[in-house]
Amino acid sequence: MMVKPKTAYFDKFIHWKMVMIYLVAILCVSIMLTTAIGPVYVPPMEIVALLGSKLHLCETASIPHKYEVIIFQIRLPRIFLGLLVGLALATAGTTLQGLFKNPMADPYIIGIASGAAVGAALSITVLPHFFSIYTTPFMAFLGAVFATFLVYTIAQTGGRIAVDTLLLTGIAVSLFLSAVLSFMMYRVSHDLAGIFFWLMGGFWLASWAQVKIAILPVFACFFLIYMFAKDLNAMLLGEESAQTLGINVEAAKKILLILSAFITAAAVSFVGTIGFVGLIIPHITRILVGPDHRILFPASALVGGIFLVWTDALARVLGEMPVGIITAFFGAPFFIYLLKKRKGGYY
Amino acid sequence: MSLEIKDVDAHYGSTKILDSIDFSASHGELMGIIGPNGSGKTTLLRTISRILKPKVGTILLEGRDVQGMKDKEFSRNFAAVPQDTTINFDFSALDIVLIGRNPHLGRLELETEKDIEIARRSMELTNCWGLAERHITELSGGERQLVIIARALTQEPKVLLLDEPTSHLDIKYQIEIMELLKRLTTEEKLIVIAVIHDLNLAARYCDRLVLLHEGKIITLGTQTQVLTAENIKNTFGAAVIVKKHVLTNQCYVSPSSVPSPLKHQAKNEVIHLICGGGEGASLMHVLAANGYTVTAGVINLLDTDYEVAKLLNIPVVTEAPFSPITQEAFQAHLALVNKANVVVLCNIPFGAGNLKNLEAAEVALKRKKALVVFDTTNIEKRDFTNGEAAKRFIALKTKGALTVKNEEEVLKAIK
Repeated sequence: MMVKPKTAYFDKFIHWKMVMIYLVAILCVSIMLTTAIGPVYVPPMEIVALLGSKLHLCETASIPHKYEVIIFQIRLPRIFLGLLVGLALATAGTTLQGLFKNPMADPYIIGIASGAAVGAALSITVLPHFFSIYTTPFMAFLGAVFATFLVYTIAQTGGRIAVDTLLLTGIAVSLFLSAVLSFMMYRVSHDLAGIFFWLMGGFWLASWAQVKIAILPVFACFFLIYMFAKDLNAMLLGEESAQTLGINVEAAKKILLILSAFITAAAVSFVGTIGFVGLIIPHITRILVGPDHRILFPASALVGGIFLVWTDALARVLGEMPVGIITAFFGAPFFIYLLKKRKGGYY
Repeated sequence: MSLEIKDVDAHYGSTKILDSIDFSASHGELMGIIGPNGSGKTTLLRTISRILKPKVGTILLEGRDVQGMKDKEFSRNFAAVPQDTTINFDFSALDIVLIGRNPHLGRLELETEKDIEIARRSMELTNCWGLAERHITELSGGERQLVIIARALTQEPKVLLLDEPTSHLDIKYQIEIMELLKRLTTEEKLIVIAVIHDLNLAARYCDRLVLLHEGKIITLGTQTQVLTAENIKNTFGAAVIVKKHVLTNQCYVSPSSVPSPLKHQAKNEVIHLICGGGEGASLMHVLAANGYTVTAGVINLLDTDYEVAKLLNIPVVTEAPFSPITQEAFQAHLALVNKANVVVLCNIPFGAGNLKNLEAAEVALKRKKALVVFDTTNIEKRDFTNGEAAKRFIALKTKGALTVKNEEEVLKAIK
């Protein structure tokens, strides 16, 4: 019985391309629009004109200098950093949900957030600022990688990683590190606001220098993870099935774990632990494009970027509120909505 | 021989699960692995599918050691269908089947027309092409199993391994899947090795059976060799009756709850059954359960009646399989008849080989024993001696044998 001509399958690839084109278009528009938004409103036409002058396409002597500073020194680095962080968190979330075969997983489940938080808190409270303004990001990154390494080492038995053990170990280590963090906050009463703000995450300090540092590891990890898209598809059928499909499952798991730890650490080190992006974005994207990781990775990276660009714009409008509050504010109810709506499958 | 499992030992940690497993299977063969829970069936399958590395021994496919194959190369030769096939993510059935092309494609390579064609062929083979566009999460267990088998076939393997492909499925899908496996061996010349829980399904469809117990092969061979009441008692620890199906000549296994007559129920009467061909089996149960001492004869070895008698510890006079009753056996038989209070002649067919059983009934009557004869099937229909047996049978009835139609009437007659 023929259901549809077999070319119908290739329509899927066309559909994927269309999704990507739309998302890139939405991203570009989002960047344009959110550049305008902030404590100081910059009319979009002025932004276009400014860009034109930067690219020597036209003369814009009439635009005030302060607009140029706001847009190029403050807003655009913020937007691009938001984009990178959204991309990183969404990619790590997608990877871990695939690895754990569980859509409830997120990048922080393997201890990354609490590790980074302890690292950041150490640098804020007790450590000398040996890297000047980069001390906190550096320590956060170190803490994140260290926590993941710890979880990974504990969960490993006989060269194998059982995902459920990994999950439980991640929770245990996270709780422990949270206790360490609480202890530090309890003992050190000064700088509490600094730690607090870091924990909720925000883009106040974004600069082109930060974008330059983050861009390489984030994109490198993204492309390396993307190489495993098909492997992750197969692993959704079960690890043993994946193994009989010619995939070295243990190696793939380890590499993907390390890469997602790295990409998340790179993201959170500058902006703090922004929650819910890594959990929600892969979900929404799965509803949009289906569970195939070949499209899910690029699409959720873009959706993650768009989401953070907009939530940060909202944060700016709401008097520089930490962006983590906004993501959680929208993220948690949406998550509950998804839970309730879920029938048999997960999306 | 195409797939050779050579003297394989496998361990989980320090526990030995498989012990010197040694067998081979050829192209076009459907092999069933049976055995009680925990006997190592799944472990054996996992070892063949290279998920578990054997500690000792080798597995050869067409003479090549599978351990030496690259991952992708291995998966172009072996495909496996796991026990648990639930998938929580909303792929279409065709997407799932196409994942089976993974071993043939590069990391970033997209599927081509050719791959879709192979997937379609697999889905047509397993009769699920109609489900191609459906979401895997909304399929029934049976439909999903067909899709997963199609996925395995899309790997274009030489060996297909399945772990309990029919468990949790209704009878329609059990039959559909077993027929499919049979077709894959006869038409596609695959080597199919399946762990099968249901002994009767295994007997019905498998060319050969491997019976595992405590990690060892107990027997390997045709259903008649493997599925004996004795083998099943020794491995599963379950008392069963094995009969041959009259139409298909397949073994079928059914439980026989061994009665343990209570002491106060025990009776002194000795009932002797003249039976064979499975005709006495259920009466043996009924009588033993009612506390009678039962004896039986003359039964050929391998007969169901013989196996049941053994399970019930009933003394039996036996004869070699498919052989006529010898004078020796006849005399031994008469000795049992002599000791009995009641002799029951079961509804057996008569041929030249067992006329001596009819003669034993005549002797019983002569010696003033109570003789009960079953007359369920018309004697002419079970007489293969050109009328002689029928004549003598009718004579028995006229000389005072009591005629019965079923086991209840026997019990009444004895009282």
